[in-house]
Amino acid sequence: MIWQMENELARKKGEIAARDLNHSAAGFMKQKLVEIWILFRIQFAEIRDSWMWVIGLASMFPFTTLLFLKFYTVNPTPEMMMRIITGNMVFAIIVMGINALAQEISFQKHQGHFMFYASLPIAKLNFVIAVFIRGFMTSFPSVVILAVIGQLVYNIQFHYSLGMIPVLLLAVFSCAGIGTALGFVSPNHQFTNMLAQTLLMVISFLSPVMVTMDMLPKVLQWVAYIFPTTYVAAAFRELFLSGWSPDVTRNVLILAGYVILSFFVILKTVQWRIE
Amino acid sequence: MPIERALRAGVLDASCSINEKEVKIMSAVYEVSNLEKQYKKGKVQANKNISFTVQRGEILGVFGPNGAGKSTLIKQMVGHIQPTSGTIMFRGESIFKQTKRISRLVAYYAQEPHAMESLKVWEVITFTGRLRGMSKKEAEQDGEELLERLRLSKVRNKLMKRISGGQKRLVGIATALIGNMEVLILDEPTNELDPENRRLIWNLILEYNRTRGVTVLLVTHNVLEAEQVVDRVMMVDHGELLAIDTVGNLKGMVDQRLRIEVTSSFGKRRVTEKVLKQWGEIEVLSENRLRLMVPKVEAGVVVNEIVERSEEMACEEYKLIPPSLEDVYFHLGGKDDLANGE
Repeated sequence: MIWQMENELARKKGEIAARDLNHSAAGFMKQKLVEIWILFRIQFAEIRDSWMWVIGLASMFPFTTLLFLKFYTVNPTPEMMMRIITGNMVFAIIVMGINALAQEISFQKHQGHFMFYASLPIAKLNFVIAVFIRGFMTSFPSVVILAVIGQLVYNIQFHYSLGMIPVLLLAVFSCAGIGTALGFVSPNHQFTNMLAQTLLMVISFLSPVMVTMDMLPKVLQWVAYIFPTTYVAAAFRELFLSGWSPDVTRNVLILAGYVILSFFVILKTVQWRIE
Repeated sequence: MPIERALRAGVLDASCSINEKEVKIMSAVYEVSNLEKQYKKGKVQANKNISFTVQRGEILGVFGPNGAGKSTLIKQMVGHIQPTSGTIMFRGESIFKQTKRISRLVAYYAQEPHAMESLKVWEVITFTGRLRGMSKKEAEQDGEELLERLRLSKVRNKLMKRISGGQKRLVGIATALIGNMEVLILDEPTNELDPENRRLIWNLILEYNRTRGVTVLLVTHNVLEAEQVVDRVMMVDHGELLAIDTVGNLKGMVDQRLRIEVTSSFGKRRVTEKVLKQWGEIEVLSENRLRLMVPKVEAGVVVNEIVERSEEMACEEYKLIPPSLEDVYFHLGGKDDLANGE
């Protein structure tokens, strides 16, 4: 009886507090942003002393591939050059957004980090957003580095437009979503490492990132449709070569779907509070 | 909890009638009923039909050996693990309907905050406070106070991964203590700590309970130290609840005899043994140490005799040992060594 009365009172207090907060949208937003900011700082702390190395090393694989293809291809067409540059930009996203993020989240899960978060009154959504931002922060510089170097090496100029902002954001977030989801559902850390490495190779070389879709066997074409990188690469090529088009819109919508889907999968299927 | 303590802690209003005060004091924060937890399709039974309540404002100690099911029980009480059957009510409602509220009102400490290994010590504490909803100023103030109280000021700017295991544990406890919690659940808080820091932690727990009215659930196998702070004790063994009562009542359940440990001069144990035999049952502890069990009522007489005849019986030292909670545990059928805990 006592608790019923106290619970009722607590609920009323909560409603009043919620009402007060809603009256001040800025206050409500500030509260949520503080949570995301603190969670992001915890995530970013892992690399804050070595972020330049992390970004530099993450850019090495696509940078090396970029140079290799420069030496290997003779008199490439503008389309080929654009394919090589954007393909390597996608590599950078795969390395940091999918591969590294999946391994890091899996590590956190199996080290019992989630138990600590579960004992705090934080929303899992905010934790996921913080992880996505970390994924973005570590992937984005590599993408820019590759874009700048690619243009210099091949001596071509991208078609710049405001459309680059949503495309780049969705490109990184859609892959970070896959990486985060893989880390969350990981049965053990070793399995996640192997899966991430395999995905890196399959997505990089057996999907239309560096080659056109019609160059791949039928089976691989169908498999390629599963990966967001297929749409990222297509959107990059079209946008940087000739600007926004209906094809870019279509790819952007698909990528937005991937972001929403990965959020949905993480939030609905993973219960970090209950074993 | 005594009424004065409840009034001081603000749990009770001074204007309450005596009945209201009693009812409030008797309110159970947690009510656990017929709790069962099985793993591996029933092959492993971590908790068997456990029922108990945690009263508001008390310090309840959960004692038991390694693998007794204490941590599993606690994890279910904070909503980290779903029970196989049974119910856990927090403030009159099922905990699984209010997991968010539990994490706001119940501070739970089980291990060092591994999630924050790359942060500085002060950041770990204040960030936890902010995630518990404190303002930046409040979190920083409380954080600084905890750093000082837990003697962590010297390492405040060090990374968590650069400090010792004991210091990490202290930081972990600070993360549990920051914020305005109603219930504090600590799972083996004094493991890896030196005696001085253990005393510091016990004092802090007492202070939070006495001055803030925080209900404390304390999981430990360090029975000797913990029995100084707990109001009631729950004993768990092989997943079963052996007993739950006050320390005094539990000790009263054991043998009404007192133990007198006598140290004889080296090589004279048989002489001592011969004299002691006439007063009761004797157990040989080592080459020159003996334990005599005597009825409580005769203890005074026996001690006087030992003092008077100490030369004759080659007695170098003697001490009276009252029953411990470890004795209670074995008396209730506990099978494992309590000291060999987690």
